Amino acid sequence: MNHFVRAIGVALVLGPALLSQRGTDPDEFEHLEPVLQAALAKASPFVVAVETFGGTRTISGSEGPTDSDEPPAPRVPPKPAKKPENKPAEPKSEEPKPDAPKPDEPKPAEPKPGEEGPPAPQPVPMPGSDPKPDENKPDENEGDEDKPGKKKGLPLKAPGFQQTLGKTTGIVLTADGWILVSRFALNLEPTTILITVPGRGTFHAQRAGEDTSRGIALVKIDATDLPVPEFVHPANVKIGQWAFALGRTFATEEPTVHIGIVSAQRRVFGRALQIDAYTSPANYGGPVVDVHGRVLGMAVPLSPAGRNAGVEWYDSGIGFAVTIADIPHLIERMQKGQVLQRGWLGVQFEPSFLGPGAKISSTPKDGVAAKVGMRKGDVILEVDGVAVMNGPHFQMLVSSHLGGDSITIKIRQDEGAEPVVMGPLVLLDAPWSEQKQKKDTDLPASFSLPEKK
Amino acid sequence: MHKHLLFAFSFASVLTAQSQDFGKAYSFEERKPRTRVEQVIDQRLPSIVKVHGASGLATISAYATGIIVSKQGHILTLDQVMIQKDRTRVVLYDGSVHQAQLLPEEPRFGVRLLKIDPALVNGELQPVWPPAEAEAKFRTGQFVVSLGNSFRLAEFSEKVSATFGVVVGRANTALRYRMADVKYDGDLILTDACNNPGQFGGGLFTLDGRWIGLNMKLLDSKETNTMVSAAIPTRDLLPYLEEHVLGKHTAEAVVNKPAPWTGIVLFERAGLQSPPAYVDRVITGSPADTLGLRPDDLVVRINDYSIRTCREFREVLGRFAAGETVQVTWKRGTKVQQASMVLASEPKK
Repeated sequence: MNHFVRAIGVALVLGPALLSQRGTDPDEFEHLEPVLQAALAKASPFVVAVETFGGTRTISGSEGPTDSDEPPAPRVPPKPAKKPENKPAEPKSEEPKPDAPKPDEPKPAEPKPGEEGPPAPQPVPMPGSDPKPDENKPDENEGDEDKPGKKKGLPLKAPGFQQTLGKTTGIVLTADGWILVSRFALNLEPTTILITVPGRGTFHAQRAGEDTSRGIALVKIDATDLPVPEFVHPANVKIGQWAFALGRTFATEEPTVHIGIVSAQRRVFGRALQIDAYTSPANYGGPVVDVHGRVLGMAVPLSPAGRNAGVEWYDSGIGFAVTIADIPHLIERMQKGQVLQRGWLGVQFEPSFLGPGAKISSTPKDGVAAKVGMRKGDVILEVDGVAVMNGPHFQMLVSSHLGGDSITIKIRQDEGAEPVVMGPLVLLDAPWSEQKQKKDTDLPASFSLPEKK
Repeated sequence: MHKHLLFAFSFASVLTAQSQDFGKAYSFEERKPRTRVEQVIDQRLPSIVKVHGASGLATISAYATGIIVSKQGHILTLDQVMIQKDRTRVVLYDGSVHQAQLLPEEPRFGVRLLKIDPALVNGELQPVWPPAEAEAKFRTGQFVVSLGNSFRLAEFSEKVSATFGVVVGRANTALRYRMADVKYDGDLILTDACNNPGQFGGGLFTLDGRWIGLNMKLLDSKETNTMVSAAIPTRDLLPYLEEHVLGKHTAEAVVNKPAPWTGIVLFERAGLQSPPAYVDRVITGSPADTLGLRPDDLVVRINDYSIRTCREFREVLGRFAAGETVQVTWKRGTKVQQASMVLASEPKK
């Protein structure tokens, strides 16, 4: 139905164009212009500006750890801290409930045991005391220190991307004040977030949950009757269709627009569309809309190879738009303040083994796999009932999951032995994901000032 | 293949030497334009010239693009350091090279008019002029063609590069001050038709052939830490053009602006990173006091200017003068409030 409607739409738009251009080259841009204007006008009301204040300037980009399935082992930070208590590696009979305590919620004053690392309370206790730049970063890399080849002491140098305090973009998610923003906007761990809804004024925003694997986050403002966009399910998106990336960084009255097409579907393990419209800090967090002004996804700096990577690809013609319509269950968890991270089983597969199945080449000892007894040489035959074709297929099946998700694995542990079923196994959060985010969902709106005379 | 190219080149050279019709000195076959994009490019290319000069510095390119704005030989270009007196040459569409005379620059925009002798031009110059009320006539999402000599690729009478893109948006005044190299306050046209070196000084044209922008150098945006392609709206250049091309003179009153004072004392600490603009104290009887600002309030905006740090507070305030009225936005607790403030002068002690 949907396709049919769109087909009619396209025919209406292009029909006269083609007729009038008979005998000449079609000049589709002349005819696209009004279509683009209309989409822009339709989308403009729900594209909001995000301003952040305070926080620490950091460098993101290629410095960040990558999470190709290459050696995650040495990266395991020595301090998953409170993680295990919520995400036990033991097999569990049921999916974790959405309202299960999130990793950061039980944040009682109990100090983390045996942590040498960062000062336990996150920085920024009061205005004016912004920590020195880079304070955050070094300890982030502590986990890397045991990695061979990783030089100590210079974790912060370029290459990378120095993020600014600049304005970014967000999308209204619900009429009652949920706003979808890019995780990029919160990289600096701002102390204050303000959202400006066009024509409605500026609102103070409370930070809620986020999905670091998608680079998106939710904030809540105190407003009602906000204009809500229509989100298009990725199943209704076709490679090659127009994609317009909108942003609020450089413009206030109407959003900026970059045009392109959908380059690929289901990138980053099913999480995002790839587009060739320019994306950059000028439109990260902004919607990527179709010719009808409907939201295909949110432009975020993302790449399959890393957590923050992607920023250095700005304006390159390789952009990612995280799809939203297919993740209502995750949005719900984020609204409850949960921080979602990429799931991690803890196996590496043997690339030279061509299948069927994926042969394990190593199992980092902190991983779920090692704890349930998977070993080097075992062959994984099925994931959740899906026969595993080869290593990359296995990676695809697992990497689309988040930490806390359960998967069931059929595995052959010895040559010629009967396959055994393991699971459900609850995946851990990927250890190289952003472990260090601020756990306060209720950021203080202001801070008590020191005594004055 | 190479042999053919060589042959074609030498053949062209022979033609150059023999022909008096310079327009065809290095001609090649091309079909007639069909689409709007092709038409605009064909229509506007003869107005675009290559500007060559001398540069003493490695980082400053010695070439740019210019646009013919009068039949008397006025050419508008971006004022680069490359423009040294007596060493600026202009290459017209037909490949002819002309010595250019420098007219006074327009420092606010960083543009300058050059003048060549029309008597030495073969045929008539084909000027373009900014459309009246261009302001109303460019919109976000409008398709544009950018013409300019990117990387000095076009030699002799070769046509300059045409790139295609869209008006990405209008960067409003408040964002202007976070873009390096921009000295004036007007809006800029942002575009994704990339301003490679050399493309600057060239023109941005809509699909109906109007000249809406003069390409700038790639700008460094402090807002995003990225490079941005932008153009000066031609409407903003009209007063300068009218004065020096048409001889109209518009006197500008130079006013000494008294420094503004709000009575806000910010909570500020020395350090690499300037903290957010939290109010530490409010002087009794000051404009801020009248507004009801209190310690612990966070000043987030003055007019459209975002105030992210104490440093930005001072910078932005410096753009105004005592006596002016500004909209101040601040955050108290979780409430965002806004009110007008009449800036005062700092009282004498």
